[in-house]
Amino acid sequence: MSELTLLVLQLGFLLLLWVFVFAIVYALRSDLFGQRVRKLPETAAASASAAPVASAFPSSPVSQAPTEAVNRPAAASGSDGGVATTESASRLVITSGQKAGSEFPLGRDEITIGRSSDSAIIIRDDYTSTHHARLMLWNGRWMIQDLDSTNGTFLDGSRVTVPTPVPLGATVKVGATTFELRR
Amino acid sequence: MSDRRTQTPPQGTAATPPSGVRRIRMPQKLRNLELWLLAFACLINAASIVLVQLGALGTIDTQLVLLGAGLSALVFGLHIAMRFVARDADPFLLPIATVLNGLGIAMIYRIDIAEGDAGWESAAVRQIAWSAIAILCAIATIVLIRNHRVLFRYTYLAGLLAIVLLILPLLPGIGREVYGARVWIGIGDIATFQPGEIAKIALAVFFAGYLVRNRDSLSMVGTKFLGMRFPRARDLGPLLVVWALSMAVIVFQRDLGTALLYFGLFLVMLYVATSRLSWVVLGLSLFIGGALIAAQTLDYVRNRFANWLDPFSDERFNADPGGSYQLVQGLFGLGNGGLIGTGLGQGRPDLTPVPQSDYIIASLGEELGLAGVFAILALYLLFVARGFRIGFAGQDDFGKLLGVGLSFTVALQVFIVVGGVMRVIPLTGLTTPFLAAGGSSLVANWIIVGLLLRLSDTIRNHPRLVIDG
Repeated sequence: MSELTLLVLQLGFLLLLWVFVFAIVYALRSDLFGQRVRKLPETAAASASAAPVASAFPSSPVSQAPTEAVNRPAAASGSDGGVATTESASRLVITSGQKAGSEFPLGRDEITIGRSSDSAIIIRDDYTSTHHARLMLWNGRWMIQDLDSTNGTFLDGSRVTVPTPVPLGATVKVGATTFELRR
Repeated sequence: MSDRRTQTPPQGTAATPPSGVRRIRMPQKLRNLELWLLAFACLINAASIVLVQLGALGTIDTQLVLLGAGLSALVFGLHIAMRFVARDADPFLLPIATVLNGLGIAMIYRIDIAEGDAGWESAAVRQIAWSAIAILCAIATIVLIRNHRVLFRYTYLAGLLAIVLLILPLLPGIGREVYGARVWIGIGDIATFQPGEIAKIALAVFFAGYLVRNRDSLSMVGTKFLGMRFPRARDLGPLLVVWALSMAVIVFQRDLGTALLYFGLFLVMLYVATSRLSWVVLGLSLFIGGALIAAQTLDYVRNRFANWLDPFSDERFNADPGGSYQLVQGLFGLGNGGLIGTGLGQGRPDLTPVPQSDYIIASLGEELGLAGVFAILALYLLFVARGFRIGFAGQDDFGKLLGVGLSFTVALQVFIVVGGVMRVIPLTGLTTPFLAAGGSSLVANWIIVGLLLRLSDTIRNHPRLVIDG
């Protein structure tokens, strides 16, 4: 084995090591530079700009459908004062905003809400803070806590300042999105 | 229920069907990425062993390559286990740990060749056996612990376990003293295990659980002074207890590095839990004060400091117990390596005492050069960054603290060892994670890999709802 061959092999090995390092860095680039911005389809983009308007004027015709769909069960169970607990509430339903009608299962873990991709419920609009609010469990009861968000979190129309128990069917508003906890 | 799901979606969303909960789950994608990186990692490991043989022997001996292949099979076994029980785990931790472990084995093998060891005498064969045990432990961790919150229940048991593990080497009968440090246990004449390595995992679990339960009193109250909020005197208890523990390690076990590791771990977790800089200031001044007193009163600590400050003087170089011979040889070795190294199998790393454990980074630095050492440090950086990322993304406080604590032990240990070898800080005897010869360290670090994989799986496995506004 000549000196030169060994030198070439050594350089090749070092190169291999660095290719491995950069392969990993390349694979996790989305962590370093953030997720790629997705182009929304034309109609979705139009509705995105309409969404905040819709929630600002709930009586406007465009948002009629979701509010109606939502009010039905809310009227049935009502804001009947029953506090949402792990037993009584099983899902979180988005009632207005972009994904109105979507459901999210409630487990036994706290649920973080915000623009950050670490949140359980990720709301990417101009009104939501990175870490906006969280739903946490205190002795089995669901509490909403505002995490010093810029635009605030609202429970039945009043701003949440301290962790507050969430009644079943009460409207929680984060940015342009509202949701309720249901059975 | 179903009627609401199938309702006509309002305006805009008409283009996209109502999707309900969108789960970000790409198990196959993540695991396939891991598979590719693992294949790459095993290629690097095989190449390093072949290069060592070509450089040092001039021929290729298939026996050790086969042993290495057996190890690769075990790593793929862990990968397959993850396809079943941790499908959303982080895909980078396992390949990185595999490469580091393999590079360590190649370098230990290279030193065996220089010292003429073979069979069970050979440290490389023992290292491969220990690696197999360690990877089996990682598989057991990931299969048995299906949710990291189980560990939260055993907070105080973990604390007790850590104390017991720390006391074991001091007991007569099973405790063994190696190179002046009493941190080993063994049966008969052979020192076989360093319980302190496992204790660091138990301590991380204990600190995480303890801080989640008690951090309010540690973070809320206190008086403001010099722009920082300092804790009340009565809340100093935990800090003082851990400080006393690490001082006891310095005095009774005569192990500076381990003491620094435990105390640093506690300080960082305390800082992450309370986000108060005053704890770090208080803790560091306590530790530096303690270390300075130790440097005045304890011979071995004084020697370490003197070697660090003035290794090249004749007096220090020739001092028989605790001289700077090893430190200077390591530095010469690193210097001999230069930018691209002498080539695997072609340097003289065996001139340094214990080149395969404490000084493995100097041996690798000699044969792979600055380029190789930087690649190794970059791999550690990526490993720790993934760990912090897992901790950061965690949904529960216990998981967050545990993730940060476990990955920080790896980071701090690398800093203490590599910094000691390169004369950034006084030299202390700790193992370089994954690289250095030593079973206990391998087992502990592979268990850390298993726990971090479990944490990352729980986090990604969380249901998610994405609302693009």
